[in-house]
Amino acid sequence: MNRKYTPYLFISPWVIGFLAFTMGPLLLSLGMSFFDWSITGTPEFIGAGNYIKMFTKDPQFYKSLAITIRFALIFVPLNMVVALILAMLITQPIKGVKIFRTIFYVPAVVSGVAISIIWGWLLDSNYGIINYLLSLLGIQGPKWLVDPKWAIFAIIFASAWGVGTMMLIFYTAIKSIPPSLYEAAALDGAGPIRQFFFITIPMITPTILFNLITSLIGALQQLTLVLLLTNGGPLRSTYFYGMYVYNNAFKHHKLGYASANAWIMFVVILLLTALVFRSSSAWVFYEAEKKGGKKA
Amino acid sequence: MKTSKAYKIVIVAVLVLIAVYFMFPLFWMVMTAFKTEAEAQSYPPAFFPQVWRFFNFLDAWTAQDFNQYLWNTILVTVLTTLGQLISCSLVAYGFARFEFKGKTALFMILLSTMMIPWDVTMIPLYMEFKLLGWINSLKALIIPAFFGSAYYIFLLRQFLMGIPKDLEEAARIDGANQFQIYYKIFVPIMKPALFLVAILNVLTVWNDYLGPLIFLQDRSKFTLALGLAAFKGVHSTQIIPIMCITTLMIIPPIILFIIAQKYIIEGTSGAIK
Amino acid sequence: MKKSKIFMSLLLSMMLLLTACGSQTTKTPAKEEQTAKPAEKQTEKTEEPKKEEPKKEEPKKETQTGTAKVKIRFASWDDSESLTEQQKLVDQFNQSQDAIEVVMEAYGDNYDTKIAAGMGSKDAPDVMYMWNYPAYYKGLENLNPFIEKEGANYKNNFYETLWEYNSMNGEVYGIPVGYTTHVLYYNKDLFDKAGVAYPTDDWSWEDLKAAAKKVKEGNEGVAGFSFSRKPDPYDFEMYLWSNGAAYSNEKGELNGSINDEKSMAVFKMFQDMEKEGIAITTEGGGTNEVLGGKVAMYINGAWSIGRFNEAGLNYGMVKIPGFGKPSVSILSSSGLSMSKDSANKDAAWEFIKFWTGKEMNKARLSYELPVLKDVVAEEKVTADPGKKVFFDMLEQSAGYTPSFFKIENWSEISESLELAFEEMYNESSLRAPEEAINDIISMFP
Repeated sequence: MNRKYTPYLFISPWVIGFLAFTMGPLLLSLGMSFFDWSITGTPEFIGAGNYIKMFTKDPQFYKSLAITIRFALIFVPLNMVVALILAMLITQPIKGVKIFRTIFYVPAVVSGVAISIIWGWLLDSNYGIINYLLSLLGIQGPKWLVDPKWAIFAIIFASAWGVGTMMLIFYTAIKSIPPSLYEAAALDGAGPIRQFFFITIPMITPTILFNLITSLIGALQQLTLVLLLTNGGPLRSTYFYGMYVYNNAFKHHKLGYASANAWIMFVVILLLTALVFRSSSAWVFYEAEKKGGKKA
Repeated sequence: MKTSKAYKIVIVAVLVLIAVYFMFPLFWMVMTAFKTEAEAQSYPPAFFPQVWRFFNFLDAWTAQDFNQYLWNTILVTVLTTLGQLISCSLVAYGFARFEFKGKTALFMILLSTMMIPWDVTMIPLYMEFKLLGWINSLKALIIPAFFGSAYYIFLLRQFLMGIPKDLEEAARIDGANQFQIYYKIFVPIMKPALFLVAILNVLTVWNDYLGPLIFLQDRSKFTLALGLAAFKGVHSTQIIPIMCITTLMIIPPIILFIIAQKYIIEGTSGAIK
Repeated sequence: MKKSKIFMSLLLSMMLLLTACGSQTTKTPAKEEQTAKPAEKQTEKTEEPKKEEPKKEEPKKETQTGTAKVKIRFASWDDSESLTEQQKLVDQFNQSQDAIEVVMEAYGDNYDTKIAAGMGSKDAPDVMYMWNYPAYYKGLENLNPFIEKEGANYKNNFYETLWEYNSMNGEVYGIPVGYTTHVLYYNKDLFDKAGVAYPTDDWSWEDLKAAAKKVKEGNEGVAGFSFSRKPDPYDFEMYLWSNGAAYSNEKGELNGSINDEKSMAVFKMFQDMEKEGIAITTEGGGTNEVLGGKVAMYINGAWSIGRFNEAGLNYGMVKIPGFGKPSVSILSSSGLSMSKDSANKDAAWEFIKFWTGKEMNKARLSYELPVLKDVVAEEKVTADPGKKVFFDMLEQSAGYTPSFFKIENWSEISESLELAFEEMYNESSLRAPEEAINDIISMFP
């Protein structure tokens, strides 16, 4: 076996899959963004028309972009901190911790359809269970899904519920830190907090990078939950970009326009990811690169 | 690590509090599954059903051909998980442990495939699958998994990057070739991460709704998630069956998780010196 | 032990992948086909799937005898409850002849996504349920030639108003299957408890307001009337009609119609009811709230009957209140359409005829209002007061065309209208109707 080709052999499944299933549709959707296509009719070439319309004549584009970015700015850090805290909690040597581990993970298993119905009940402002419980305590609960100020928190509340996946990823990373490192640190007199910041955090930076990027992408594309729980409301306060694209494609049947929308978001995410990646060489620590390996 | 009693109590208290937040909606779901619809809508809300209607579950399960859906879902879940494990571990290994021309560019392309909104690539993909004859067949859901998915490749790559370089160097000196190094040394080390990928993939595929919706047609090919969504019509939603099926549907992934979490912990300790 | 097994399988599959990526792709599908499609192959080979689905065997057997049957794909949007019934009727069709085999597809509330994807890929089902003709008619077959072949009586047997709702630019694109008008539902128990007389067919909105107030006073924590916080603009136009107005004029222009005095009076009345505490607004249509006994009256189509009956709610139905004259209802109609790209149009028409025919109208009586005059007469449908009210509303709603059919870019206007309505009726904004509607006028001059 020629050594020069070995790495390419390893990555060949993905390369083939990309060429077969991803590249074609991707390029087609890019091409589509220069057409006016109403799904039932024949596509009509309009050059950069969709992009011009989006930037100059569609206020909803900017609104949705702003809402989505604001959501991502709150949600991504919050979600990561919560996931990391939970992951730390479930590594504690405490009786019954296994049960908690499962409990924290279980919500991530529940499908979106049921989640949205249940959260709808919990958060209903007149007859919701949360506000009912609050009223027993003499508190007038907020109008969760009615008042635009509160709706975004309702979404964050409901999506944070699915934090289990990220927690599990952190947990796996934490568990694969060699115990010898902690033992050595303990011998040096480092307490749990010092150990956390000087061993745990540096050792899981590759995973932090992973969770940061994937949750950033997830937050910027958030669709399922808003579609099911708020349908963009109240007063379009949760009309996220994903929903904007979805409605343009499937409600207004403007497929060309939706493609243009999607490509702009694609570029935004790509730039953000590139930025994060560039910064990662300063804070992500890879064991594999310790000895003369080049940075990725 | 010695921990004081007070510290433990604080931790447990925090755990219990968070557990309530996580369990309450679930508790409500399971309770609702036993109620009548009028009970479920009543106010003030009733925590427990007046009568425990176990037949709700049977009614929901037999309302559609859920036996068939279950079989389809299991098939798709098992095969895609197998496909993802094989392909993603290979690709991630390639990206993490080698230097080669175009690596950075290829990796960025890989990452970028996670960023494409499905709304706009779906119709071209549909056309392609139609040419291949995969529409209305579980193939459309299964086969792409054998070519890896960016999310898991990235995850495994991050994991592999955290393993010191000297590991394979020692093996190479012993005369092992790259594939031997991969499956003899790295696959065992990756075990926790592979179990993680398996859990995540099972979960995603088990609940995946859009893929089956777009690519499947006959009800005999439907998956559980699609059957569940069929309780939601344009004008009315059958809440009780949705709660029943969801309750039943979360059981297998939970059992799997309980089994698999053992391997996630065990795997690593001692694997890396 | 387990470890080495995992290794072996990993190794094996890896070899497969690396040595022959091409053949690998063909191998898995082949294996999968056997297991995944047991129903179609009806061979005895695959054992596990057979165990899983004994029911499937029976209807498939007759395919053995016939030569190649024409396969017709039929898409429905109903939830699973009516689907079971529908599947039986489809089976009935399949058994009635041996040239066509209809396969039912069901997509629930994501029907639109699926149909749009299908049409975009030129792979729409041959026959599909339809109501949104303006959006899809370019992908549908014009059914006029088929109808003409059936003779004049064929068309006349349907209620005339229904054709309006299944046509576009004068051409018929769907055969009516069912319809509903809207009516006022009320909870008898809540009325009794408050000692208020039940609503009647000749109610005006003033009557409704007065009764709502009394019912609310007589029942703690109950609202007298409810409407949606963001009403569907398609439905809401009926209130404008009832007051002699509309969203748009004949040419589909908004200005001068939607901001007309009479239109504004309607928008205002609903907001006032909310402000005065006579009505509450609900997240959805309000069915859940009525079902839970939290609301005494609301307006809806026939969709809630099934759930109310099942829950044993003690309710009644009357015509929608009017503004001093008989009220008008919008129709929500369902038709059966044929895809323009269908390869078997004659077979598709055969099935459409069957599905919209007399026998099927009768078979669906328990959950769908019939659309054929002779069925209504023969089955004495209007003798049932619970059904009569919908036909009465149908009668007094003839001659109105929703703006939905008149306005080219309705889906965009509708979305903006929905926002305007929400601004007016969301209790956290309660925007003045004049302002909200003026915004619409300036957005769509």
